[in-house]
Amino acid sequence: MESVDVYLEPMRAFLTQVGAFLPRLALAVAVLIAGWLAAKLVKFAVVKGLRAINFNVLTERAGMDGFLKQGGIENDTTDIFGVLVYWLVVFAALVIACNSVGLTYITDLLGQVVVFVPKVLVALVILAFGAYFAAFTGGTVATYCRNVGIQDGELLGKIAQYAIIVFVVLISLEQMGIGGATIRHSFLIILGGIVLALALAFGIGGRDWAAELLERWWPRRNSGGK
Amino acid sequence: MDVPTTQSPPATATGTADDPLWYKDAVIYQLHVKAFFDSNGDGLGDFRGLTEKLDYIEQLGVNTIWLLPFYPSPLKDDGYDVSGYHDVHPHYGTTEDFRRFVEEAHKRSLRVITELIVNHTSDAHPWFQAARRAPKGSPERAFYVWSDDESKYQGTRIIFTDTESSNWAWDPVAKQYFWHRFFSHQPDLNFDNPKVLEAVLKAMEYWCEIGVDGFRLDAIPYLVEREGTSNENLPETHAVIKKIRAELDVRHAGKLLLAEANQWPEDVREYFGEGDECHMAYHFPLMPRMYMAIAQEDRHPVVEIMQQTPEIPEACQWAIFLRNHDELTLEMVTGKERDYMYQMYAADPRARINLGIRRRLAPLFENDFDRIKLMNSLLLSMPGSPIIYYGDEIGMGDNIYLGDRNGVRTPMQWSPDRNAGFSRADPQRLFLPPIMDAIYGYEAVNVEAQSREPNSLLNWMRRLLAVRKHSHAFGRGKLTFLKPGNRKVLAYVREYGEEAILCVANLGRSAQPVELDLKRFSGRIPVELLGRTPFPPIGDRFYLLTLPSCGFYWFRLATDVAAPDWHAQVLPPEERPTVVLFDGWSSFFRDRVVPWRIGMALKTCEHFETEVLARYIEAQRWYAAKGEPVKRAKLADWALWEAGRASCMLALLDVEGAIYFVPLSLAWEDREEERVRALGPAVVAKARQQARVGVIADALADEDFCRAVIEAIGAGREIATAQGKVRFSPTSAFAALAGEDYMSLPVGRPQAQSTNTVVTLGERLFLKGYRRIRPGVNPEYEVGLFLTEQARFANCVPVAGAIEYLAPDGTTMTLGLLEAYVSNQGDGWTYTLEYLGRFFDQPRAATETAPQDVHGAYLALTRVLGTRTGELHAAFARAAGNPAFDPEPVTAEDIAAWKRRVQEEAAATLQLLEKNLSELVLPAREAATALLAQRKQLAARIDSCAVSPGPALKIRYHGDYHLGQVLLAKNDFRIIDFEGEPARPLAERRAKHSPLRDVAGMLRSLDYARWTALRAVTPAPQDNERLAALALEWRDSARQTFLEGYEEATRGTGIYGSFAETRALLELFELEKALYELRYEINNRPGWVHVPLQGIHELTRPAPGP
Repeated sequence: MESVDVYLEPMRAFLTQVGAFLPRLALAVAVLIAGWLAAKLVKFAVVKGLRAINFNVLTERAGMDGFLKQGGIENDTTDIFGVLVYWLVVFAALVIACNSVGLTYITDLLGQVVVFVPKVLVALVILAFGAYFAAFTGGTVATYCRNVGIQDGELLGKIAQYAIIVFVVLISLEQMGIGGATIRHSFLIILGGIVLALALAFGIGGRDWAAELLERWWPRRNSGGK
Repeated sequence: MDVPTTQSPPATATGTADDPLWYKDAVIYQLHVKAFFDSNGDGLGDFRGLTEKLDYIEQLGVNTIWLLPFYPSPLKDDGYDVSGYHDVHPHYGTTEDFRRFVEEAHKRSLRVITELIVNHTSDAHPWFQAARRAPKGSPERAFYVWSDDESKYQGTRIIFTDTESSNWAWDPVAKQYFWHRFFSHQPDLNFDNPKVLEAVLKAMEYWCEIGVDGFRLDAIPYLVEREGTSNENLPETHAVIKKIRAELDVRHAGKLLLAEANQWPEDVREYFGEGDECHMAYHFPLMPRMYMAIAQEDRHPVVEIMQQTPEIPEACQWAIFLRNHDELTLEMVTGKERDYMYQMYAADPRARINLGIRRRLAPLFENDFDRIKLMNSLLLSMPGSPIIYYGDEIGMGDNIYLGDRNGVRTPMQWSPDRNAGFSRADPQRLFLPPIMDAIYGYEAVNVEAQSREPNSLLNWMRRLLAVRKHSHAFGRGKLTFLKPGNRKVLAYVREYGEEAILCVANLGRSAQPVELDLKRFSGRIPVELLGRTPFPPIGDRFYLLTLPSCGFYWFRLATDVAAPDWHAQVLPPEERPTVVLFDGWSSFFRDRVVPWRIGMALKTCEHFETEVLARYIEAQRWYAAKGEPVKRAKLADWALWEAGRASCMLALLDVEGAIYFVPLSLAWEDREEERVRALGPAVVAKARQQARVGVIADALADEDFCRAVIEAIGAGREIATAQGKVRFSPTSAFAALAGEDYMSLPVGRPQAQSTNTVVTLGERLFLKGYRRIRPGVNPEYEVGLFLTEQARFANCVPVAGAIEYLAPDGTTMTLGLLEAYVSNQGDGWTYTLEYLGRFFDQPRAATETAPQDVHGAYLALTRVLGTRTGELHAAFARAAGNPAFDPEPVTAEDIAAWKRRVQEEAAATLQLLEKNLSELVLPAREAATALLAQRKQLAARIDSCAVSPGPALKIRYHGDYHLGQVLLAKNDFRIIDFEGEPARPLAERRAKHSPLRDVAGMLRSLDYARWTALRAVTPAPQDNERLAALALEWRDSARQTFLEGYEEATRGTGIYGSFAETRALLELFELEKALYELRYEINNRPGWVHVPLQGIHELTRPAPGP
């Protein structure tokens, strides 16, 4: 009998463990299902909410939706927001579920994803508003130039717009923590390059003019004698 | 609407028998019985002759006759030297003749005014003969004013400067001087003697008893003499007049005293007293100033004298005139003005007499009819009762070679016969020779010729007088001068109660423009009274008119007439509200703006819907619920559309539950200045977005939009709206109709109609934008498509395409239709009215009867109309394979149902009629009462209609068929507008029915044309019956011809078995239509109720034999 007991002990222990695990698993599954449902609900609410406050109009005006469309994506930014929120909730549910079944490693892994998604969301918001601001500034510059009669106003407007967009993209990348120093450095290099290019361009283009100025300020002695 | 002219006497007709203020509306015809008509061939006119000619006077349109003196007299001063107050001069007949004349005149509603010459008598008068023989101080002698020397009353002026040197004359019998203000054979009566007044009152009483309606008090300022005064207008004189008036009021209220006081207005004012002296007095100073104004081409003289004219008591009236039996007196002008007048009007010194000019009206103006008419128009529109001197209505001339003022007292010119038709006597027996020169002689100027010539001065006078008769404002209205910058134009408004008459006269010899400040009447429609043409409404700016040389207009400033339909209501853009946009069209839509602008968008949208669109819609012709304010025109659905250069919004507005289609176009000034300007007349609102300004306008006024629509129809485009979509679709005829180059067609100005707005593109396409949108297939599109594509019916307007709205629930609504442009001469209604107007004008004055085939050309057209109508129905009857169009047989139940419906409608109509009976004017009320009494007959009549019409078809039909729905083009007709009756639901409009309903509609339309045309001709009451008979004749033959044409075209099509049998059915539908009209008129135009009533009456009469 005892031997049976001995044989049965691991079995019992196993069953005990199974018995203890099963409710947790059931709980995890329940959490997952609830999370999935919640995710759908939250996605729906977020999309509706964003559309209600015309976030879609903002991204459309900012040119983001057009950008996405060009890339072959049917959804607009608002939908992407919805998708992100959906996965955020799903992942959160997964974390809880994994935690409850004790999958610590997976929990950690998922935890990082869960922390990252909000960053993406914030980055998207920054991008949306930033791009709208860029488009608005570009339009204003162009209109102003046209009104005061500067030629190439459209070009200047575009330059202003894209300059702001570059900044905004950098900020959003920074927000997401991608690239970090590399991007900062490459940005500085590009900016330095542009400044240098401009300086050179003005320098070469304005050489004669600069020479005339110099001539007037410090006329060469010998030229006077001839 | 305008005052009815046929059947009923006009509501404002003047001169009703018992109106105590009748003289305020009087138009007086001044004549001398001696010069008017000679009945017994003795060379002198007489009362029998005058009585014979009363019809002429009545037809002229005057309502009062003023007789120059006809009393026994030695005739040294044309009868003003009376030698007997209680008798008629034997030359002119007997007292009995006079009684009969007065009686006959009263029968014709003509009143009679005679002279009461009380200042003086003839020296042949028994009183004077007794006085000169009676001893000094005796009561007989005290009848006159005597003096032993000439030194009394030295301050008195001499009136007849040409003939008299003193006011005193020596009488060898009496051995005393007697006082005379006029000729020395006219001693003045002594009104300080009460017996004189007594005798005068007795004379007045005598004539009142005979029936005379008033007296002209001759030379009234000179009755009493007082030392140290000018002996004019003395208080004692006024006391005498007051006594005369008091006596008259006691015994003969309503009889008139008219003062002849050739004085300045402030002195004449005294003769009205406080309404207790004379009823009327002449306005002497006005007359020369009217002549002066025309001579100087400046309104100043008239304006000045009218402003100096004092107010007169309520019950008093001025008498005004252009010419009379005396000279054109220039006493009431300054010396300088007199010289000017002499120079202008009496270059020949022989034309001058005393202080005046002895000429008639026509010679004064060198027979220039324009100026003569202008003068008459002034006379008839200035405040006061006008007096027309006999002969001036035909432009008679004068003879300045006759002595004294006899030159203007020559015989009336009746005909080109001997003695001007005035007398059968030998010419040398006439009291004066008639005018015989080449210009004014009786062979050139006479009543007979002018009666027959429609455009003669005589007929023109008749028309003008008939027009004047329609308004109390001319006689009783308040006068206000307008002060336009152009001084050659005299403009004034006569107002009486709600009525306002605007008179504008060009005193210049050349055409003149004028800008009138009529802001006070803003919104009223000026209706030119002679032609009854409505002019564009008065706005808040100057009203611009142009007048031909010596032209004049009389306008009724009407509140009850619609503006002419071609008038484009243009509100200048600066008076439109401004909409502040922040994001173009998106500014109106909360879900089309960035998040932080949502609140602003809501506000902008609300402002746009409640302030801008609502106000705009209210003012549109096509807004169905006219007069009702619009609270909010809600944007129910919309699509933004970049149509070529135009940025458009196709908006469907929910206006108080009804859907309206209002395409809007937005244009910015900085980029498209030209477009902004072009949109000017159609601007809905000004728009501003930051520093940019522009306009939001009706897109149908936008060329780019219209072209884009054609292009979209051609390409069959679809545009998504917020909820549904807008579909542009071409028909198979599009390519053929539009051609290749349709994008370069010139786009016309949009014309607003009652339910839609139409734009023409070149002479090729016709874009019709519906305004009130109803769910379902628009029958016009459906029928147009059927007739264009299936039936290939040539006499409709082919359809090239349509704009439709597809609602999210699947219903379709037609927003617009593209049709072929049909160049035409206007619609059948206008053509018919103009035709009838011309027809009525022609024979009105003529005496001969119209030739047999007088309507030949018109009837040929009517036959064509009948044929085309028949062909249309035949085309419908041939339809096959389309359930919406396939013919169905008429069953007995159908007929029973139709009858039942007519019965129900008849009952409802009669009920409505009964309820509104009290609001109807008299003749219509009588007809209505008669109809109500015939209730049973009407029901029986309906029952007896269409007992067995034989086999017949129910088909699609026009549904709202009348003369306005056919366009006349090249002597043929195009049938348009298959929309059906706009007030009915679409399903009902699309239902099949007997096409005889269309026929009935057209028949009723012909009847309406008759009445409308009758009403449009300027009425001369005596013509009414004759014209009405002519009109009836016309209608009957038009009916007949139309039906013949129709029958010919429909024979054998199966629409009916035999036309004769269907007549009864046709009558049923005519009755139905007339009942509908009656309901409509009761509710909308009570003045027209008699038209359908008459129609129903005709239809209810037992049917005439076959």
